[in-house]
Amino acid sequence: MSAIMQGAADRSAMPRHASAPMLGLVAAVLLAAMLAGLSMGSSPMPLERLLPALIGQGSATDMLILWTLRAPRVLLAGVAGASLGLAGLVLQRATRNALAAPSVLGVTDGAALGAVAFLFLFTDPANMLTVSIYWQPVATALGAAFFAMLVALLAGRGNVGPVSLILYGFALGALARAGVTLFIVAGPVYRASQAAIWLAGSVHEARWSDVAATGLVLSICLPAVVLMARRMDQLLLDDNSAMATGVAVRRSQFMLMGLSVVLTAGAVSFVGAIGFVGLVAPHAARLLLGLRALPLIAGSAMLGALAVIAADIVVRYGFAPLEVPTGAATALLGAPYFLFILFRARQNHA
Amino acid sequence: MLERTLTGLRNGLELRGAAAGYGSRLVFEGLDLAIASGRVTALCGPNGCGKSTMLRAMRAMLPLSAGAALVDDGSVDALPVRERARRIAMLSQNPSAPDEMTVEDLVRLGRYAHRKRFAPAGPGDRQAADAAMAAAGVDDIAARPIGSLSGGQLQRAWIAMVIAQAAPVILLDEPTNHLDIAHALETLDLVARLCHREARTVAVVLHDLNLAARHADDIVFLRQGRIVAQGPVAQTFTRDVISSVFGIECRVLSDEETGRPFCIPVRATGHG
Repeated sequence: MSAIMQGAADRSAMPRHASAPMLGLVAAVLLAAMLAGLSMGSSPMPLERLLPALIGQGSATDMLILWTLRAPRVLLAGVAGASLGLAGLVLQRATRNALAAPSVLGVTDGAALGAVAFLFLFTDPANMLTVSIYWQPVATALGAAFFAMLVALLAGRGNVGPVSLILYGFALGALARAGVTLFIVAGPVYRASQAAIWLAGSVHEARWSDVAATGLVLSICLPAVVLMARRMDQLLLDDNSAMATGVAVRRSQFMLMGLSVVLTAGAVSFVGAIGFVGLVAPHAARLLLGLRALPLIAGSAMLGALAVIAADIVVRYGFAPLEVPTGAATALLGAPYFLFILFRARQNHA
Repeated sequence: MLERTLTGLRNGLELRGAAAGYGSRLVFEGLDLAIASGRVTALCGPNGCGKSTMLRAMRAMLPLSAGAALVDDGSVDALPVRERARRIAMLSQNPSAPDEMTVEDLVRLGRYAHRKRFAPAGPGDRQAADAAMAAAGVDDIAARPIGSLSGGQLQRAWIAMVIAQAAPVILLDEPTNHLDIAHALETLDLVARLCHREARTVAVVLHDLNLAARHADDIVFLRQGRIVAQGPVAQTFTRDVISSVFGIECRVLSDEETGRPFCIPVRATGHG
């Protein structure tokens, strides 16, 4: 068979929508994880009790457990995970760096610092907030934006290699975490009990209002990310080539960074500094779905949601009755994965 | 009027009174450089003479500190970014894309400026990409990831992306870098054919003088940010010009078969 015929065969064997079945599979696994998250707990709810309760026909106890405890917890984990997964994808495209993620570049910890600083500054001696709690997400976003800006400034100076960028991020993240610890230690005693949330991230105190707020941020950012999809594809090229094809490279990168900051802040405001989701979800999505931005957006969001929901199930089951923060489980999974990516990247460059 | 005759037809490219550089160091200033339309113009000169910087300046990828970059006698800088890409395509040195990207996907990225902002790729985009791959001879490896290609194949894939951009003006920065002689010849043949058959304007930075003499219509010889000679190959490719530009002693002979000159370097004279 001639080379040309073979090429044609290859192309027909790889249809352009090859990602659809894989996305369907990911969605199915995500749905299963959500159901598992709803049914598992200190009083397990088998499927034959869970489904009636879901459609409002279960026993009063089941309804109470499901709708006030488990549903917001699972949904908050899902929405926050989706936000972090998207934030990671967008950041990886903006920096053209597969190792970049909000938690790796210190943006997540910067967001947590913003939240803790807000609580410290605006709490009176009677432990009451002196301003509305609705300002907290704004403070979180400011913290995230400030640390994203620091990384961008450091990376913008000359040609920073992919690994140098990560080192800058780690250093800034350590700085932000130190700040979080200081504010917790110096702050009101009862805030210290929340230290775990801001240091490692947790969904165990989920309320419906948290779900709504995080969901609002996600539902605003998601369409914006979709509109940026084609530019994200062009940004796979080096700066000069992307520019030559007609992309305003710096402006696109700036907009993507901004979206990443808002998405990260939206999640961290309510679940704390859950790490590594923004790294693992887009990376796994790329392995499953390829390079095109549009399927990756869906894939990163779903895998991010899956990661946090699964992590939450692990901490609920694996460590009960201890309340281990969700972020500890994502880190337990994410950190080795990060090392694996780092190792592979080094091999490829050798 | 005199200035207009420099570029002549449509799609000529020009730097007029231009100065540019990096930081406070100017690579060139007061530069007037015209690239004639419908011809292949090679930019030649020793390392650091400003060839690549000029190319970037013509594409408005580098801000000018004085003067203007013109296409068709209109300012390049004033064009919206996408319109700029539709008018002028450019392949920089050492372009990069992820290894797992297929040739076809890479070539399609060249269509960005032609696609409506949020609409999917149309049949026109597909045709343009297919035609570009055929022209560059990469249609049979369209489904291969670019990480698996040889140097020559990879360079042709990038050139296919540039062709797919369908711009009347094409700028190439050392497209034969890292290529062996067979692939270098092949690449420049492709570029010259494209230029002449489709009346495109091509400016190409070349290291190898003999490749330039063989494939270009015009040559611009540069030294330290200044033009030493410019014009048709037969007039500019002389012993005196090459000696003074590169600081070498050389002989220039003529290839009987093609009628093109070629250069045999003899020794460095030290002032290069």
